[in-house]
Amino acid sequence: MAELRGSHGDQAHHILTSLFGTPDLHTLSVYESKGGYTALRKALLDMAPADITNEVKTSGLRGRGGAGFATGTKWSFINRDAPGPKYVVVNADESEPGTAKDRYILENCPHMVVEGILIAAYAVGANQAWVYIRGEYDEPSRMLQAAIEEARAKGYVGPKPFGKDFPLDIRLYRGHGAYICGEETALLESLEGKRAQPRSRPPFPAVKGAWGRPTLLNNVETLATVPAIINRGGAEYAKLGTAKNPGTRLLTVSGNVRKPGVYEVEIGKTFRHVIMELAGGPPEGRVVKVFWPGGSSAPVLPGSMLDMTTDAEALAAAKSMGGSGGVIVMDDSHCIVKAAHRLLQFYAHESCGKCTPCRIGQDWAVRTYERILANEGSQVELDILQRVSDGLQNGRCLCGLGDSGGWVIDSTLRHFREEYEDHALRHECRVGTVAPPALRATSPQVGRT
Amino acid sequence: MSSPNKSALPTHILDEIRELPARYPQPRSAVMPALDLAQEELGHLTPEAMSEVAEALSLDPGYVEGVATFYSLFHHQPIGKHRFYVCTNLSCMLRGANEVVDHLKQAIGVERSDQVSSDGLFSFEEVECLGACEYAPMMRLDHRYFYDLNDQKVDALVAERRGKPVVTAEKPKPKRVPRKKPGG
Amino acid sequence: MADINLTIDGQKTTVPPGTLIVEAAKTIGIEIPVFCYHHKLDPVGACRLCLVDITPGPPRPQTACTTPVAEGMVVRTQSAMAVQGRADILEFELANHPLDCPVCDKGGECPLQDFTFRHGYPISRIDGPRLHFKKPIPLSDKIALDRERCVLCYRCTRYYDEVAWEQELTTDQRGVQSFITSQFDQPLKSIFSGNIIDLCPVGALTSRVWRFESRPWDMTHTASVCSKCSVGCSVTLWQRRGQLVRVTSHENDDIDEGWICDRGRFDYTDVNDPARLRTPSINGARAAWADAISAVAAGIRGRGARLGVSLPQDITNEEAFLFRRLLDGPLKGARVKMHGRTAIPAPAGDLMRIKEIDDARVIVVVASDLEDDVPIVDLRVKKAVTKRGAKLIVVHPEGVDLDRHPGTVHIRNAKGSAAAEVRKLASHEWLKSPGGPVAILFGDGRGSEDVDELASACGDLAGQVGGREMALYRATNERGALAAGVAGWDKLDGVEALLSWGPPPTAGIPTSAKFVAAWDHLPRVGHDRAVVLPATTFAERQGSYTNLEGTVQFLRPPIPVLPPLKEGWEVLCELGAALGVALDFDGVLAIQRAISLPSPDLEPSPTPVLVGPAHP
Ligand SMILES: Cc1cc2nc3c(=O)[nH]c(=O)nc-3n(C[C@H](O)[C@H](O)[C@H](O)COP(=O)(O)O)c2cc1C
Ligand code: SF4
Ligand code: SF4
Ligand code: SF4
Ligand code: FES
Ligand code: FES
Repeated sequence: MAELRGSHGDQAHHILTSLFGTPDLHTLSVYESKGGYTALRKALLDMAPADITNEVKTSGLRGRGGAGFATGTKWSFINRDAPGPKYVVVNADESEPGTAKDRYILENCPHMVVEGILIAAYAVGANQAWVYIRGEYDEPSRMLQAAIEEARAKGYVGPKPFGKDFPLDIRLYRGHGAYICGEETALLESLEGKRAQPRSRPPFPAVKGAWGRPTLLNNVETLATVPAIINRGGAEYAKLGTAKNPGTRLLTVSGNVRKPGVYEVEIGKTFRHVIMELAGGPPEGRVVKVFWPGGSSAPVLPGSMLDMTTDAEALAAAKSMGGSGGVIVMDDSHCIVKAAHRLLQFYAHESCGKCTPCRIGQDWAVRTYERILANEGSQVELDILQRVSDGLQNGRCLCGLGDSGGWVIDSTLRHFREEYEDHALRHECRVGTVAPPALRATSPQVGRT
Repeated sequence: MSSPNKSALPTHILDEIRELPARYPQPRSAVMPALDLAQEELGHLTPEAMSEVAEALSLDPGYVEGVATFYSLFHHQPIGKHRFYVCTNLSCMLRGANEVVDHLKQAIGVERSDQVSSDGLFSFEEVECLGACEYAPMMRLDHRYFYDLNDQKVDALVAERRGKPVVTAEKPKPKRVPRKKPGG
Repeated sequence: MADINLTIDGQKTTVPPGTLIVEAAKTIGIEIPVFCYHHKLDPVGACRLCLVDITPGPPRPQTACTTPVAEGMVVRTQSAMAVQGRADILEFELANHPLDCPVCDKGGECPLQDFTFRHGYPISRIDGPRLHFKKPIPLSDKIALDRERCVLCYRCTRYYDEVAWEQELTTDQRGVQSFITSQFDQPLKSIFSGNIIDLCPVGALTSRVWRFESRPWDMTHTASVCSKCSVGCSVTLWQRRGQLVRVTSHENDDIDEGWICDRGRFDYTDVNDPARLRTPSINGARAAWADAISAVAAGIRGRGARLGVSLPQDITNEEAFLFRRLLDGPLKGARVKMHGRTAIPAPAGDLMRIKEIDDARVIVVVASDLEDDVPIVDLRVKKAVTKRGAKLIVVHPEGVDLDRHPGTVHIRNAKGSAAAEVRKLASHEWLKSPGGPVAILFGDGRGSEDVDELASACGDLAGQVGGREMALYRATNERGALAAGVAGWDKLDGVEALLSWGPPPTAGIPTSAKFVAAWDHLPRVGHDRAVVLPATTFAERQGSYTNLEGTVQFLRPPIPVLPPLKEGWEVLCELGAALGVALDFDGVLAIQRAISLPSPDLEPSPTPVLVGPAHP
């Protein structure tokens, strides 16, 4: 395995990563020797399902996949006593640009994820869990599969885990290259063998999810946090972080920093701490020009806002969000227009095409950026960008992917209007060190004139 | 479509595909694992192969076509024995991914993602974030991730693969049913 | 549950619970524009054109097509948020839309045009390159697809999947590159393909049969009934300058729910055939009507069983009634053969109605591949199964269209043993406690079953399990002809004279026939040795049909019968006169009145669907 880049080892605030770095932690024996699976045993033998859910509620844990929904509350939406199958579906599709933390967990400690899944399944009354893992994650999926098999051999996955008469099973389903599969209803469609286009809600997955059955959907990191909450107690966990956004979370710091990596951070610390201290700040002689605080979908914040804290409330107040915890840092040697263009290419490429504004708008934005970057821009192009951005946000789209593209345009325009005007009106770039991004090949089926 | 006596997929693969549906709560979920098997066998998915997958799963070919063309990891044109999936998304771009791509193109002698090197060994594709941004720039190759890329590393990866013997018989047939042409 | 009260744009309305806002708005005449929503398809919320402002709710517009009403809800379609939302969506739709309106068959009846006019921005702000696709692409010999015009509402693919149970039409790729395609570019094969033309809200799917023929405002249309089979779907017939230029659906929830099959939609070009017969002829020489009629009368009079009469499947009730009079009188004893009829006997009592299939909990289909025999009934059964959860049992020796549902129980009987299989069904697990009505549909196995036996087995089963039967007559007016007693089943071999009403007998004109009279609309081999009377088609003819469930429906022809052409009933009246029977009717209405007097069998159904005068 590659050299670990990020938090590991015992530190006061390390909840997820304190064992990371232990040799062979991915094996069941080492994980168990460090206290692994005690939470599962406790949950199965000493706790009623409702108590588990309450403990998670008490912890104040919020989903780490992007939307930040209260995890305990989500669990309580599943009617445990409803007859027929129910499922836990684990979102391991991690594809948000700038986000690598689920991979980091899966490669270091797959058993922690297995344990969290099993606890969640028991809590909501599901006998089967499906992990939807992105197809490019060959190594993480091998490791997770191996962990499941080890747990199966031990009986933790099986008809009677720890002697409890509650069969538990975990299965893997591999994605095939589509960012939209991270969106929960698109993920469910994909899991059902369909084109991954989000479903219109209601019904919500808790009522009608995978294969039409009640389904709990959680992110890898969310579930990996559960064993710690069961072991320490929700109240203890809630002491970390902020009152409304307790605990720690993994922030993937990437881009123009000296020590990129996945850092476990107590929520509420500042981005200055994360970017300048943990990740070592920008290269020599450079300053942070802009950062994406929560993956490419989170509206950007300018370098002047490094003292912003990492909790959801503070970020919302600054018109951004904690998202997936992917902190992308860009220094002053790079051009914001080119960066925004690259991200819009991403959203256009990944738009599922189901709804009009996203299908057309993301592509329209890309073409407009291309005109601007080819020095063919004018005020017209700037107006188009603003208009497309408005049309992508504000509830126009069926799912969050549409908004995300709009936020990239909107937030970069808001904070860096002058740089846009440089390009569009004056046909110049104040940094100009990055080669113009390669244009993505369009499908052979379509042409453009 | 396929000639009556010769099918695109060998019998053992079709047998394997027929066993897939039972593993899922509903049989339709088997479509992607089945396409995986087909693609592993042929290198890329042909209309014939997709039709055979459909038949093995009791689905309409059109359904399988719709699914198979939605996902980026299914290929519909021949690809090299080794395909370089180079991430050029933001975190990687900020650390030189575009330069890596430029160098790679030269190293393998391929200009575009729909081309294959003349020896059939290599093709490449710029892809979106692969979830390993702390190691940017990075790529996926032969079911593995390679990190902290630079020109030397790319050269080494290419050279290493050139050294290995190539079984030309595995090369997918370049013949293709003509599809929709670019419009005008 | 109690009805729901809500307010839309200040107007109050009350609708049943579960109603979608978009439907609630229709009740008070408020237009919410839609592309992806269609009242016969499941809502998907894809196009986002139906954005409205809902209180209570989040400060964002929401889709009226996916949101059910709630008590006290206040919907605003005219708030700035809603108005701008819709205008933006329309602008996006137009960003890649080609400037095709001048050459587009949809022009004039195009929702994209209309909505842009009513809900879009008044000026175009779009510049820059548009996306291009190769166009148009033939999806089959009947349907063309123009991908540039497509707004990807997925109505066509959803219809295929949900309603027709087929996936030969699909979406390829994703995002802005996605496009509609037939599977691997092969021609569509489904007999239900044409409905996608009606469904498409833009000019992306057009009829190749009708392509570039005329603009919608050049045509007049009438709501009529299809003549191609016994289902009797409602259709709209469009004419321009005396030509039938297209056939589209015309929603009738009791029978077709807005769908028609490709036979009904595309099988009409013979109406406009330049070779259409307009004048009578005797042995190939043009003749006056009077001479031709006397020649026919002379040729067929008094021949008893040595006369053969061939009748078309779409004989009208009125013509059938007149034939009854002739066959009771001067043509007594003639052998009669009706095209395409099944061997199913006339119904003993009241049969099940098509719409009753909706409520069935278990549906049993015996000795028929509905797709071939009664296409639109096939779709009704599919709906009951997929949308309403009915269970389906098929008894048929071969694979049938309904097998596409994984839950279908298909009992493959040996040919001829369907009745025996039906007798076993009473003990079938699903039928022991069906939990609601059972529908039993039986055909004639295309001649392979003993139909009397089968009908009685189905009747018995219905009695045992609390079901209703539906006999699947096939010929367009088989029921009407049965009721009039002219649905003959006789062999025509050996007759000396033949009166061929409609197209020639399927087995050909018997070689024994020395005298042949033909009432036909197209020239045929042998007409030069016959007395030929020019015939009307379904696009000109007046009259009525009784469909398989017994509903009497009236043809409303869009094309007038211009001399020298005469109505069929008129020809029969004149023939009657020449044969010495007084058939003094001055129009179809008079015949209909006469029918309803002596023959209770022909009484119009209690809910006639298309009553009213024929074409003026
Ligand atoms: C476009 C889009 C992409 C998403 N991608 C991911 C993803 O890759 N991984 C993930 O866990 N959640 C992703 N989400 C969020 C999920 O929809 C969902 O909220 C989450 O998986 C729920 O888990 P949590 O409550 O544990 O966070 C995405 C959402 C959207 C709208
Ligand atoms: S917003 Fe984009 S990704 Fe989401 S449903 Fe619409 S088209 Fe698909
Ligand atoms: S072809 Fe027509 S019906 Fe089909 S998706 Fe396009 S616009 Fe909709
Ligand atoms: S089902 Fe019969 S009546 Fe209906 S459109 Fe088809 S041919 Fe005409
Ligand atoms: S941006 Fe390249 S791996 Fe994430
Ligand atoms: S009509 Fe409501 S989203 Fe399309």
